[in-house]
This record gives sequence, structure tokens and C-alpha cells, in this order.
Amino acid sequence: STSSVLSAEKDESPTSKDSTTEVASKKQEGIAETPKQKLLDIIGSMKVEVSYRKKLQQLKTREIKKQATKKLEGVDSESSMLQKTTEDTQRSKPLNPELVEAVSAVASSLPLNKKQTESELLAQLRRHEETTDKQKKGGTINIRNVISEMTVKRHSPAQKGVRVSSCISLKLDEDGQSIKPERLSPQSFDSRSLKVGRRLNIFTKASTETENALKTVSPPTIWDLEFAKEIAAVTAQPPRNGFEEMIQWTKEGILWEYPIDNEAGMEDDAEFHEHIFLEKHLEGFPKQGAIRHFMELVICGLSKNPYLSVKQKIEHIDWFQKYFEEKKEFIQEV
Amino acid sequence: MAAAALCWALRAARQVFPSPRTSQVRSYYVDWRMLRDVKRRKLAYEYADERLRINAIRKNTILPKELQEVADKEIANLPRDSCPVRIRNRCVLTSRPRGVKRRWRLSRIVFRHFADHAQMSGIQRAMW
Repeated sequence: STSSVLSAEKDESPTSKDSTTEVASKKQEGIAETPKQKLLDIIGSMKVEVSYRKKLQQLKTREIKKQATKKLEGVDSESSMLQKTTEDTQRSKPLNPELVEAVSAVASSLPLNKKQTESELLAQLRRHEETTDKQKKGGTINIRNVISEMTVKRHSPAQKGVRVSSCISLKLDEDGQSIKPERLSPQSFDSRSLKVGRRLNIFTKASTETENALKTVSPPTIWDLEFAKEIAAVTAQPPRNGFEEMIQWTKEGILWEYPIDNEAGMEDDAEFHEHIFLEKHLEGFPKQGAIRHFMELVICGLSKNPYLSVKQKIEHIDWFQKYFEEKKEFIQEV
Repeated sequence: MAAAALCWALRAARQVFPSPRTSQVRSYYVDWRMLRDVKRRKLAYEYADERLRINAIRKNTILPKELQEVADKEIANLPRDSCPVRIRNRCVLTSRPRGVKRRWRLSRIVFRHFADHAQMSGIQRAMW
């Protein structure tokens, strides 16, 4: 490409050098899907020493390459190139000797560090060869799928990083959602919403089994209770008025609950017949005699007692039964 | 989940440790006699049922007298402090054994002190 610039200055045959550049550019075009992008990348990666002359040359080469690619997009241009060039365009694993010649010519055209530029250009060509081989096999990354989802933002901030992130911004209507009905939840970005877009599947959903396993924890330790008490003490605000004071007292137990419940605190679930008819507990006693008489009196008294629970009454009767069993021998002596 | 556990812990704490109704002013018994009285009350509470049953056998006209004598011996074998007769209603604040009003559990001097400072609810100086 640079040779083409210099050909204007020199009186050498421009066609051969044009052909080399065109061949090289054609090959480059065959490599890249976005040839313009690739060419730009190549030019950017070319390590030419910085000087104003070089910059001018680079600009000129870029323009010429663009022109060349525009020409080459047509089929006829290819055939014309083939006609023009006597060299074979067939590729082989080792670099084409014609390309090597072209590289040497380009390197010679550049004023400084001919060997360095020659080696760099050769490396570039090798890379191109590799990528084309990979593409033939279908191993390279298919950029089309990624680019199809991308939309270029018009208003992008000056910084490069933000521009990159903005390039990867996803469309709103992909999942059939739009921001407007979701305005209830606060979102950090106004232009870009966090909930829109395809799932990345980076994180796996936590299984509910672990949650259930965690719920069946041992009863809370003393520290947990202390912590709970602390929280209750901190969060307990002093009562603002008399009503809140009375509520607090009722909770503590100082004040009764109104309307007054006569059976507050009493948890006797037994029916009245369990309190009164206690004869069924007298099965262990003899049916005749003083003891039976005595126990019937005991039962009569217990049935009239409203303060004892059924359990306590049964305990009384059982104690008497044990006592009289122990004293059985003594009683029989009498 | 943590919030649920915390709520459960709070509820348990409220049941196990209800918020205190009064703050304790002193953490000791006023004197040794009060302490002994406390011991007697505890024992009396423990042996109350047994004593009641044995007395029911003793104070009886139906059962044979031999049985009642045995019961007498049994009740005498119980610890001496278990009988409720030994409990003395002392003043709660000063441990004064005499001049104690049962309703307030306070001796007359303490009662008068609090009443004059308007710290007894519903108590007023009598005037008629």
C-alpha cells in the first residue's frame, strides 16, 4: 500500500506494486466479515515508528485500501485482478513467496527499520493465514450472533469504557417487556433497566432443600434469647399516652383484660362429670369395710372442691390407695 | 429466613422471660429470721399435700384407731419446718414480726411512712 504511494514519486512500474497491494487487500477481504473493521485493526496494530510522515502515509494507505476493497467487492474486479496478476492466488501453509516479496518491497519502501517492519508484516500475514484456515474449518467465533443483538447507541458519553458498555446495551422489547409498567420498583438507571434482557445463567438457583434443612435448627441458644431481649429492649419505646401505657400493662400482666373473664388463667379442660363422678377411681379399694366408707367420704369432699383440678383429685385418691396397700398387713392384724 | 428465626426467638423470649413488672430494690433478705421464715414457707408448700392426707386419716372416726396412731407417728416424722403453723407473717420490708397488716404485708410503721408520702394507692388520712 505504501509502495503505491511512493510509486507516484518513482517511475517504477506501478501495476506490479498495485497488484501486490490489491492481492494483499483481497486476501484480507476474504478473511474478515467486516473488512473495514479488520483493516482498521490491522493498521492499528502495525508498529510503525511515530512520525508525521508515517501518519500521513498511514492515512493515505487507509484510503487506498478502502478504495481497493470497494473495487474488489465486485466479481469483475476479482477476475480483472486475476488477469492482471500472473501470480497464483492459491494459498499454501507456508507463506506465499509472492507475498514475501511484496512484504520485502513494502519494508524497503519504508525508510526506517526495514527488517523490523518486514518481520512484523510477515507475522501479520501468518496470522491472517491462521484465521482463514480456522474460518474454513469453522472454528473461529461467530460474531454475527453477538452483533445481531447489539444496537449502537446514539448518545454515548465521551469515555471509552462507557461507550463499550453502551455498545452492549440490549433492546427493550426483546422479552416483550418495557420499562413503563415497571416504574413501581426503583431502578438505578433510567435509560437502562436491570430486569430487562436475556438471562445470563451465571448463578444457579439456591435449592429449597437447604432452606428447609436450615429451618429445622436446634432450639435457640441463650445468646439468641439474649439478643432477642436486647432488641426488644431497644425497640420498646416509652408509651406516648395513657392508652399505650395501659396496653403495656396488660401485656405485662399488671392489668386484667376487659371485659373481665372469670376463667382467665384457668386451663381446666375437663367437663363437670369428671369432677363429680369419681367413683370409677375407687376400683382398687375393697367394696366393704371402713376403708371404703372413708374413701367414699373423700370422694364426696373432692367432688365439692372447685379449686382443685381433676388431676390433683386423682393424685389424692392414688396416694390413699398406695397408703392402704402398705398398711394392709397391719390392718389385717386388727 | 433469618427474620423468621428472629421473630420466633423474640416470642420465645417474651414467654420465657416476661418483661419485669417491678425493678428489684434489694437482692437480699432483710435479716436471718426472714430467711428462716422463707425456708419454712417453702417446706410447708412442699409437704402441704402429704400433711393434708395424713391429717385426713388422723381426724377420723371411721378408720380404726391403730391406723390413726400410725398416721400420728408418720406426721411427727416429717420435718419440723414443714408445718404451716411455724410460718410468721413478717413485714416484707423490715421483717417486723408484730404489727403487720395482712393486706399489704407491711408493718404499721412502714405503712404509715408510705401512706403519708402518698405512695399507697387508695389510702387517705381518716377524718370524720
